[in-house]
Amino acid sequence: MANKQIVDTGKPNHLLRDRAIQLLIYLVVLCVSGIFLWILLDLIRGGSALLSWDFLISMPRDTGRAGGIGSILVSTLLVLSIALLVALPIGWATAVLLAEFIPAMSSFGSWVRYSLQVLAGVPSIVFGLFGYAFFSIYLGMGFSILSGGLTLACMLLPILVSTAEAGLRAVPESYRLSAAALGMSRAATLFHVLLPVAVPAWAAGLLLGIGRAAAETAALMFTSGYVDRMPESLLDSGRVLALHIFDLSMNVPGGDAPAHASALVLILLLLMINLVAMHLTHLWQRRKLNTE
Amino acid sequence: MRFLRRFVWVTIGVLMLTGLSAVSIASSHKLVLTGSSTIAPLAVELGRRFESLHPGMRVDVQTGGSARGINDTRKGIADIGMVSRAMKADEQDLQAVTIALDGIGIIVHASNPVAALTRQQIADIFTGKITNWHEVGGKDARITVVNKAEGRSTLELFLAYFQLKNSEIRPHIVIGDNQQGIKTVSGNPHAIGYVSIGAAEYDAQRGVPLKLLPLDSVAASVVNLRNGDYPLSRPLNLVTRMTPTALAKRFIDFARSEQAYDLVEMQYFIPVSVD
Repeated sequence: MANKQIVDTGKPNHLLRDRAIQLLIYLVVLCVSGIFLWILLDLIRGGSALLSWDFLISMPRDTGRAGGIGSILVSTLLVLSIALLVALPIGWATAVLLAEFIPAMSSFGSWVRYSLQVLAGVPSIVFGLFGYAFFSIYLGMGFSILSGGLTLACMLLPILVSTAEAGLRAVPESYRLSAAALGMSRAATLFHVLLPVAVPAWAAGLLLGIGRAAAETAALMFTSGYVDRMPESLLDSGRVLALHIFDLSMNVPGGDAPAHASALVLILLLLMINLVAMHLTHLWQRRKLNTE
Repeated sequence: MRFLRRFVWVTIGVLMLTGLSAVSIASSHKLVLTGSSTIAPLAVELGRRFESLHPGMRVDVQTGGSARGINDTRKGIADIGMVSRAMKADEQDLQAVTIALDGIGIIVHASNPVAALTRQQIADIFTGKITNWHEVGGKDARITVVNKAEGRSTLELFLAYFQLKNSEIRPHIVIGDNQQGIKTVSGNPHAIGYVSIGAAEYDAQRGVPLKLLPLDSVAASVVNLRNGDYPLSRPLNLVTRMTPTALAKRFIDFARSEQAYDLVEMQYFIPVSVD
C-alpha cells in the first residue's frame, strides 16, 4: 500500500528510478562473477582433459609439454611458506605497533605508513630486480627458493601491515578502555580482546597476500628461478606455478594445454587455501570469544 | 610487551638462519646457465640429458633475455650465458659457440589472401607507408602491425635485415615472446608480425589460423632454413668467459654433439653440424 501511495502522489519516477538502479547493480554484479566464470570455464575447457592425480605428482618432461607439475607444486608451496613465515611476524608486529603502541599522528608512525604505501605501489619487477641484486648476489643465496621467498616477503609487507592495522583500528575504543579499567596489561588486551575481534580482517589480509604471492611471476623470474627439478634444499632454484604457466603459454610451442591445466591447479589451490583459512579463522574466533 | 619481544626474537632468528645458509653455496658439480628465453626450454632439456649421462652433475637454467646472459657471464654469476643472436663488436671478451639455428618468418592470418610481399612492401608496412591490405593486393582492411619489444633479439635481427630503425616502425601492438606473437596474429585477420619459423610451422600444422610468407621468394620453412636458402636466420649461442671451466666446456661440447640433435629438433630449431 505504501508503495502505491508514493506512485500516486505525483512522483511516478521514483519507483522506476529505484528499479532501474537496482537492475543496474544486479547487472554489474553479474558482470563481475561472469568474468570469473568465463575464465574458469575457459580453463576447464582447455585443461581439464590433462588434469589427473598423475599430472599433480609427476615431473615435467619435454619442457612441460608432457609429464606433470609435481616439482613445480613443491617449489610453489616452499616459496609461499618462506614468504609467509618471514612476512607474517614482521608485518603483523608492525601493524600492532602502528595501531596500539604509538600515537596515530606521531611522525614515526606516519613515516612508516608512508614508506609502506610507496612499497605497495612498486611494480613487482622492481622487487624482482631488488631481490636478484640483494638476496641472490649480495647475500650470496644464488637463484634459490630462499631468495625468492624473501623477495616475496618484501612484496607482501604492505598488504599485511595495512589490512592488519585497519582491522585493529576498527575495534571500538571502549574495548581498550574497559580492558584497562579491569587492570589488564596491553599485551593481554591485545591477545584476549582485540585480536579475536580483528581476526577476520587479518585473515582477509593474509588471503590477499597469499593470492598475490601465488600469482607472482616477475619478481620470481630473477630470484627463485626457472629450474623445474624437484628441489632438494631451500638453496636450490625452483620454478613456481605462475612462472611455469607463463613460460608454457609464451615460450613453448604446443604448451597451451598443460598451461591451462596448471592454471586450473593454481586456481583450485587458492580456492582450497581460502576455504581452509576461513574455516580456521572461524574456529579460532569462536573458541576465543566463547571460553573467555 | 612480552609478546612483541617474542616476535622480535623470531625475526632475528629467521634472519640469522638465512645468513648462515648463505655461506654454503658454491659447488663444483653445478652449472648455471642464464639468458635468452628462446634458448631456455632447449637448455633445460639439454641439461636433463646431460645430468642423466653424468650422474652427480647439476645443470640449472635461468631465463631473462640475451642481455642478462651476457651480463651474468661477465660477472661470473653464470657459467654459461644463452644469447639468441650473433655476438656484437663490444662482446668480444666472451667466447661464443653456436648450438643451433633459428629462422624468423613473416606471419599473417590464414584467411589473408596476400601470398607474398616484397622486401620493400614489408618495410613500408612496418614503417606505416602502407596502411591498407588492398595496396598490396589484399582485402580492403587496415593493417595491424605487430612489432617485438625493445631488447628482443628477433627485433634486432628484423631491423638489421630490412635496414630499419626501431624509431621508424609504427607498431599497433608490441609483443614479447614467440607464442604471444603467434596468438596475436592468429586472433586478428588483418595483423602482420614476425616470429620464429619453427614455432610458427608447428602451430600452423596443428590448425592455428596462421600463414608464413616467403621472404625474397624463398618459402619460410625449416627445410629451407636447414639448407641455408632462407635469408633471415639467427644463431643460438652459448657464451662463456674466455677460459671456460672444464664442466662448461663439456656441456657445450655435448650440446653440439649428435647426442643432442633430437632435443634441438624437438624445440623446432636447426642443429648445426659439428665441423
